[in-house]
Amino acid sequence: MSKQLVLKNICKSFGSLIAVDDVNLTVEPGEFICFLGPSGCGKTTLLRIITGFEFQTSGDISYGERNLNNVIPQKRDFGIVFQSYALFPNMTVQENISFGLKMRKMPQNLIDERVDEMTDLMGLTDWKSHYPAQLSGGQQQRVALARAIAIKPNVLLLDEPLSALDAKIRIRLRAVIKRLQQDLGITMIYVTHDQEEALSMADRVVVMRNGQLRQIGSPWEIYKKPKTSFIAEFVGTSNFFDGQKKDGLVVCGEHSFVVSKIDTVSGNKVYLAIRPEDIEIVGTTIKAEDCEPSNIIEVKAELITFLGAVVDITVNLEGREMIVDIAQKEFAKKPLKEQETLHLYFPPDAFHIYSEFFKKLI
Amino acid sequence: MNSQQRQDTTLKDYTVSSARMEFDKFIVPTVTLFILALLFFFMLFPLWMILKLSFFKGGVLALDNFTLSHFKQYFTTAYTLRSLWHSLYISGFTTLIVTVLIFFFAYALTRTTIANKTFFKNIIMMPLVAPSIVQALALIYLFGRNGLITSHFFETDWNIYGATGIIVSEVLYCLPHAFVILFTTLSAVDIRLDEAAESLGASPFKVFTKITLPSAKYGIISAAALTFNLTITDFGNPVVIGGNYSVLATEIYAQVTNLYRFDLGATISIILLIPSLGAFMLNYYISRKSFSMISGAARPFIPPTRPLKKFLYSSFCYTVALSIILIFATVIIGSFVKTWPYDWSLTLEHYKFPSIGGYSALWTSLWISLIVGVVGSFVTLVAAYAMETRRPYLKQIVYFFSVMPAAIPGLVMGLGYILAFNKPYYWFYGTPWIVVINIVICNFTLGILSSITNLKNIDPSIEEASISLGGDTLSTFFKIIFPLSRVAFIQNFTYFFMRSMTTISAVIFLVSATVHLAAIEIIMLDNDGWTASANAMCTCIIAIVFVMLGLLHLFNKRVGNDAQNTSLINP
Repeated sequence: MSKQLVLKNICKSFGSLIAVDDVNLTVEPGEFICFLGPSGCGKTTLLRIITGFEFQTSGDISYGERNLNNVIPQKRDFGIVFQSYALFPNMTVQENISFGLKMRKMPQNLIDERVDEMTDLMGLTDWKSHYPAQLSGGQQQRVALARAIAIKPNVLLLDEPLSALDAKIRIRLRAVIKRLQQDLGITMIYVTHDQEEALSMADRVVVMRNGQLRQIGSPWEIYKKPKTSFIAEFVGTSNFFDGQKKDGLVVCGEHSFVVSKIDTVSGNKVYLAIRPEDIEIVGTTIKAEDCEPSNIIEVKAELITFLGAVVDITVNLEGREMIVDIAQKEFAKKPLKEQETLHLYFPPDAFHIYSEFFKKLI
Repeated sequence: MNSQQRQDTTLKDYTVSSARMEFDKFIVPTVTLFILALLFFFMLFPLWMILKLSFFKGGVLALDNFTLSHFKQYFTTAYTLRSLWHSLYISGFTTLIVTVLIFFFAYALTRTTIANKTFFKNIIMMPLVAPSIVQALALIYLFGRNGLITSHFFETDWNIYGATGIIVSEVLYCLPHAFVILFTTLSAVDIRLDEAAESLGASPFKVFTKITLPSAKYGIISAAALTFNLTITDFGNPVVIGGNYSVLATEIYAQVTNLYRFDLGATISIILLIPSLGAFMLNYYISRKSFSMISGAARPFIPPTRPLKKFLYSSFCYTVALSIILIFATVIIGSFVKTWPYDWSLTLEHYKFPSIGGYSALWTSLWISLIVGVVGSFVTLVAAYAMETRRPYLKQIVYFFSVMPAAIPGLVMGLGYILAFNKPYYWFYGTPWIVVINIVICNFTLGILSSITNLKNIDPSIEEASISLGGDTLSTFFKIIFPLSRVAFIQNFTYFFMRSMTTISAVIFLVSATVHLAAIEIIMLDNDGWTASANAMCTCIIAIVFVMLGLLHLFNKRVGNDAQNTSLINP
């Protein structure tokens, strides 16, 4: 039976560089967790600490009752899938998959049985006697998955496993991995910098930045309630305003907005974030009488970009570029031209409000 | 679901053995310490003995015994001191000539569109397959007292013995070594720089002096330093063609074998060590720098060369190539004719070697070289793996001592071996094993550097994949790393084999009444007046090396064709 994987106050520094900063996390049995963050955020280092390839500078890591602090990778029974597949080029698919079982001194007949089971599961039956170089990238990554799962790992760790593949295969393998995880009930930790991957696959997403866990939550929570302005920008995109609190409103330049969550932050200087798809167009997606009048702003459409399902409208608001997404169907009802004037509505409850900004506003 | 549970129970019965993993922890440190011990005992210890003998009376380490009298004796005796000036003169001249010649040779092969480039490349590398004595033997046949050209064609009394002979033979010996460096440099520097300068209106001369030369400067210095080092430490050519013209290397030999002055031999070794160490350090420092000059955007396309320039470069390359061919042809033909240059009737008489007991030396050389090839390439691969492994122990120290042997002249190392191991309790002294150890240690540097380069080409995740699946160090090495290093292993084997077949200076002090080596026998035969037999022995060595190169080439091709090897390098 799977057990809890617990990380307690994990820190890792390389000289003066702090790669992982006081990470606390409990991974539940059978859970699919994604570490999401930009490159250099420490997500891979954290994964390598879990695998045992790096040792934490301080903190504890345990699996069930067992403390793993000084346990070498071989004895952790964690499966790993690497970005570069890391298949053994001198071995066939069959030999690759059986490698871990041989290291466990399993009898040959059981190994063969297990390998057959794995190749059936991954659709590799016809490729057993091929060498990795004779397989496509997608097939190679399926061999890598089969090899890692064959040993029945306690936890399966995947380090950006799909980033070397092209878009179509990536989406197909996403489904394969998700299905595997559900069918076999394996605990999975999946590292990625691709927010779409994280949102579509994970039970819980862990957003990392500068070695710290910034937010842990379901994909829905992360997207709908980003805890910091960085997450609002990194997961999906957001338009930002900086402003001052005044008389229960947020004053941004010439405009004053009604903001539902205004009391959730203290201090006068605040930053507002709003998703492009949360902005409404008065007269198209919303009627004028349903609007809070102070949140309506007249702007000019500078650039209209057709993206298929949605249409991007770029507007200029007091010298700041802002993007509004509108469903193509809605757009078709009342098409706009570039340089045309339109009225945008910023619903009070669509604003996220922060007291700090992750980078200086340009 | 049922089968799922059954699998669960069966699999959990098999886990990675804890005992094996405990044992595994000691493997890398043990191997590292073993390599360090090897280098300490077979490199530092002999050097230390030389140092001791040159600075302490009777080689006994004590404050009262410290003396500079050996050095004083060397520097105040005109007869011995001249060997230093001779060495510097010879090495300086050779370096100058080789650097200039090879620069233009490499330039012709990388920057012009002359024909037959592969031919030139193969010919220039030929001196590597023969002992550094083949040049001197051939020059004596051509320009010696009874030389074909001097006494036969021109009927002059002039001959090539002495400084001229040494310089010419050293030049011909150093060409391939310098060529490798300058060819790499000139291939790597972006040729578009030249084109850009031309398009901006620079004359060809300006382009050459302002762009081409400066961009290759590290390669030039590196090639020069290597040539200097090779020349000043060479023993074979000066001993055969030098006559009374002594250089440091021959002086060490004379002091030790003729006069039994081990102390003076050790002292001259220290004197020889200084310039060769200096040249090595310069080369080491420069070659680290020159890597940064290599541009990823460099491309192989070369615009057509103007006819006159092409003609000049072609003629130049043919001259160099024909000189090398002439050397080899002379030695080989000389070994098959009755009396060079008077009686040209063919004979196999020179291949009988009655004075040295037939072919035994050649077979000894062959099997020693096979062992050196296997042991050398294996030990350097293991050492490189231990160094590059995930948790390196003492990595910097091992690396430092591993590159050191290249700086030490073989003759010095050989003398150190006598001083260190000529004791009854070192059972291997006087056996072929000391020769094996000596050659492996003397050539350790290149072996380990190429092993490291090879290991760096293997994706580090592959090793981690093995570890995560429960692989221990030994399984990872033998099942994955070693098979993936096959091509590099064969290259290293070739290198060690060739060095072992052809080296003279490293082992000249180590051959004994029981161990005879073919390369050394050449000197003995020549010394005793069996010059044609010396040529014959030389030809045998060349033939063996060529056969081995051919076999390895075939084997490499077969290995290279295997499907699994197409993805050896990182994806």
